[in-house]
Amino acid sequence: MATLSDLKISEVKLGEEHTGKWGMVIDQDICTGCQACVAACAMENNLSFVGEEDSGYGRSMHWIRIERFWEGEYPEVKMTPNQPMMCQQCGSATCEPVCPAFATVHSQAEQLNLQVYNRCVGTRYCANNCPYQVRSFNWRDYERPEPLPNQLNPDVTVRRRGVMEKCTFCIQRIHKAQDKAKSEGREVVDGEFTTACAQACPANAITFGRVDDPESMVSQLAKRSHGVKHLEELGTLPNVTYFKGG
Amino acid sequence: MSEKFSRRDFLKLAGVGAATSAILTGCGPASRYVKREPYMQMPEYNYNGQSTYYATTCRECAAGCGLIVRTVQGRAIKTEGNAGNPLNLGKTCARGQATLHGLYNPDRVQEPLKRSARGGDSTQAMDWDAAIQVVADALKNNKPEEIAFLMGMAPDHLFDLVSDLAKATGMNAPLRFGALGMFEARATLSKAAENLFGEASLPFFDVGGAQVVFSFGANFLETWLSPVSYTRGFAGLREAKTKMRGKFVQFESRMSQTGGKADEWIPLRPGTEALVALAIGKLASEIRGGAMPRAFENVDPIDAASKSGIKLETLEHLAGMFAGSNGALAIPGGPALGQSNGLAVAEAVLALNAISDNFGKPGGVYLSALAPNQSEYQRPASAQEMQEFVQKMADGKIKVLFVHGVNPLFELPTALGFGGASKSVSQIISFATFPDETAREADYVFPDHHGLESWGYQRVATGSAQPVLSGAQPVVSPYYNTRATADVLIAAAQLAGGSFASALPFKDEVEFLHGKVSALMGEVDGSISAPDLPTFMAYFQQHGGYWRNSDERVAPKAGDALNREISAEVAEFAGEGEFFFVPFVSPTLAEAGANKPWLQELPDPTTTVMWNTWVEMNPETAHELGIENDDVVRIVSEAGELEVPVYLYPAIRPDTIAIPFGQGHTAYGRYAENRGVNPADLLGQHFNEAGDLAFAGMKVKVEKTGAKKPLSRLESMMGVYGIGLGEEH
Repeated sequence: MATLSDLKISEVKLGEEHTGKWGMVIDQDICTGCQACVAACAMENNLSFVGEEDSGYGRSMHWIRIERFWEGEYPEVKMTPNQPMMCQQCGSATCEPVCPAFATVHSQAEQLNLQVYNRCVGTRYCANNCPYQVRSFNWRDYERPEPLPNQLNPDVTVRRRGVMEKCTFCIQRIHKAQDKAKSEGREVVDGEFTTACAQACPANAITFGRVDDPESMVSQLAKRSHGVKHLEELGTLPNVTYFKGG
Repeated sequence: MSEKFSRRDFLKLAGVGAATSAILTGCGPASRYVKREPYMQMPEYNYNGQSTYYATTCRECAAGCGLIVRTVQGRAIKTEGNAGNPLNLGKTCARGQATLHGLYNPDRVQEPLKRSARGGDSTQAMDWDAAIQVVADALKNNKPEEIAFLMGMAPDHLFDLVSDLAKATGMNAPLRFGALGMFEARATLSKAAENLFGEASLPFFDVGGAQVVFSFGANFLETWLSPVSYTRGFAGLREAKTKMRGKFVQFESRMSQTGGKADEWIPLRPGTEALVALAIGKLASEIRGGAMPRAFENVDPIDAASKSGIKLETLEHLAGMFAGSNGALAIPGGPALGQSNGLAVAEAVLALNAISDNFGKPGGVYLSALAPNQSEYQRPASAQEMQEFVQKMADGKIKVLFVHGVNPLFELPTALGFGGASKSVSQIISFATFPDETAREADYVFPDHHGLESWGYQRVATGSAQPVLSGAQPVVSPYYNTRATADVLIAAAQLAGGSFASALPFKDEVEFLHGKVSALMGEVDGSISAPDLPTFMAYFQQHGGYWRNSDERVAPKAGDALNREISAEVAEFAGEGEFFFVPFVSPTLAEAGANKPWLQELPDPTTTVMWNTWVEMNPETAHELGIENDDVVRIVSEAGELEVPVYLYPAIRPDTIAIPFGQGHTAYGRYAENRGVNPADLLGQHFNEAGDLAFAGMKVKVEKTGAKKPLSRLESMMGVYGIGLGEEH
């Protein structure tokens, strides 16, 4: 867990060569936009559904969304390759320094961007400052009538009104795998576990793993020449690599 | 929990020889269910924070994907794909993920009900003994030919049970129907296979092994046949591991989610698919050289170009692409088959494969492997067969109607008149898990368990090279006072006596299942084998079913696929209006997803609309008519009309409009009710030669209403068609 003294943001040089710990590679050429990852994320992470009106105001609580844009005009119109977008777990995250409550801090151990729900006071500065627009705010206590709460994942906190939330790279799964490996006296093996979105993806478009391990699948893939990181020029050092369409 | 045989003993037994597996066997016949306990109160066999995983089969559609469900203290927490199941190899679709919102849906039918008046909300609760008596009386007191079962496309074990009952007693054979099957035009596909290959079977298209895929309307990345398997195939097409990255061309009048992934999207005029396929065939044959096959002889590519609205150069370019590839594959499906000439479209497109001679080869066309306990392909009823059935109901020839796993009042086109005909049926008994439209019109509702609380199996009809029988077991104990329909029928048959009792001489559903699966025990090529039935069944549950290890897809006999006349006639359209009408199945909701709140909140993959229905219209057309985004318009067909907000969709022909199917429920729980519209209300009674509904063969009128209904979208409206940029608003 990061302490105040760890948060010397100014020491991180923008654009510096940076290796995170956990990362993802997403192949947009094979992503079909089917929303299985979105549903899987919602089920794994106890996301609230907000209903028609609030979702119309852009308040839906998707931690991962699939972007598609239009290019050209009929009949030469094309849909851009589907782009699953979630928290990029930036190495130098723009959301972190603006939080007055230290609710969104950097985990030194996991190199992830954390969201500490019980510190969050709901200023929404972080969402305002996120260039990827991947944070969602609990505008209400959304109803989840009985017996729906039976489905809630006991490993994940249920959030209340006034709290910001976002993709955690399924940190509960990371911890579970680490605990299991530790109890068996070994390291976590690449591919031993994965995030809910990657596990569900019928096209296998999402690969998750250790980017600091050059042998891992995700590192091998990220080396491919056509990989890009979104808004890299902002110096955010994102840990998600995208392959654009073919 | 049985007194004689504790769950713990059972697990010990089941664990023999499978100690390293992470998947537990689940519930044996003697100890079926794990009790749901408060988290504070741990049963002895579980540790705080530990999960238990059960293998079962997804029931959200009929594909039969294997699931592993994570449970904690008897609660189902998360579904994942079963990595062992050859059909889905550990993957799921969005509906498979959201199946838990069906299991824990707040609007399930909680106990057996007697309805005071059909269509009303007033019901009396019954106990199961009385309910079984009602079923027994219905069986006993009517002539067998006056009893009918209407069933969904899943689960197969119940279909087998009712089929056995019908065979032994002279009852009507159960009729299966599902809106997905209707929109897939399954009858047309198998009829075309019969005409071309001499075998009525479901074709299997090896997309993953192909180099060039031409899809004529097939929405194989959405809901078509087996979407998880086809999505894996698509990833294989794209990935350049051992071959070049494969190309994909989609022919359709409205860009589907599948079409959005195409390298080339060809918006042809609806109804000209057969003509275009044959013209491409002719041009490709010219490139390849040799004698011109008979099927292409009478086609004029220039005529095809003018009728379809595709430039001749484009046709030539596509033909070059098809002829120039060693791995070209053509797939017919979706709205292209749901037209008056649908059968000709299916034949023309299937025949196109003869050019690349891919029958029974990797990257080509196969006939699907039959499931392990299946002797021939059984397709669901076509819409025309449903019409005949509805006529029988209307004529008073059906006195008792049992309904399971299907919601005809929502899924069938309103014009078929199921609602009116049901008034001539003296008794309707529904086994619905959810209070759907048909259950509301039933005299009794005897709720079945949810799929995750159920035993059973599902035959994998297509999508896997290996024959697969996906097995289902309860992953949690039933939440409500529901009962397995198979158990209800077995008990009622015993009570009815005579041939009914002798047809179903089982103690319960599990014993029936064992009888059906035990024949597989002696097979040599199976995924599991065991010397005795209890061990075999334990493995069957543990692994989520049984599959053979060999590829049993059949190479179609296609020697003279091209040596025959195929009609190049353009489809006929019913109705007066100026717009072609394309209803399509919502990729996220499908036919039964509307009551699951997280499926409602998933953005549609192409429009990003949530929680409602929209009509897609070309922005140019809309501009000419003075229609803007979110304007409510009235769509009028020869069969009906409905009002729906407009979504300006840049990828649809100017002469075509499209509406997703999935919403528009008048019952089915709080999340589904009174939300959106059902395009089935617009469909008339027109069929193609194979008996499938010509659902894409209508023309409709569009009228302005002056009302507005803002659609909830995930995408921003900012900058779309100038909105928010200071000019229009």
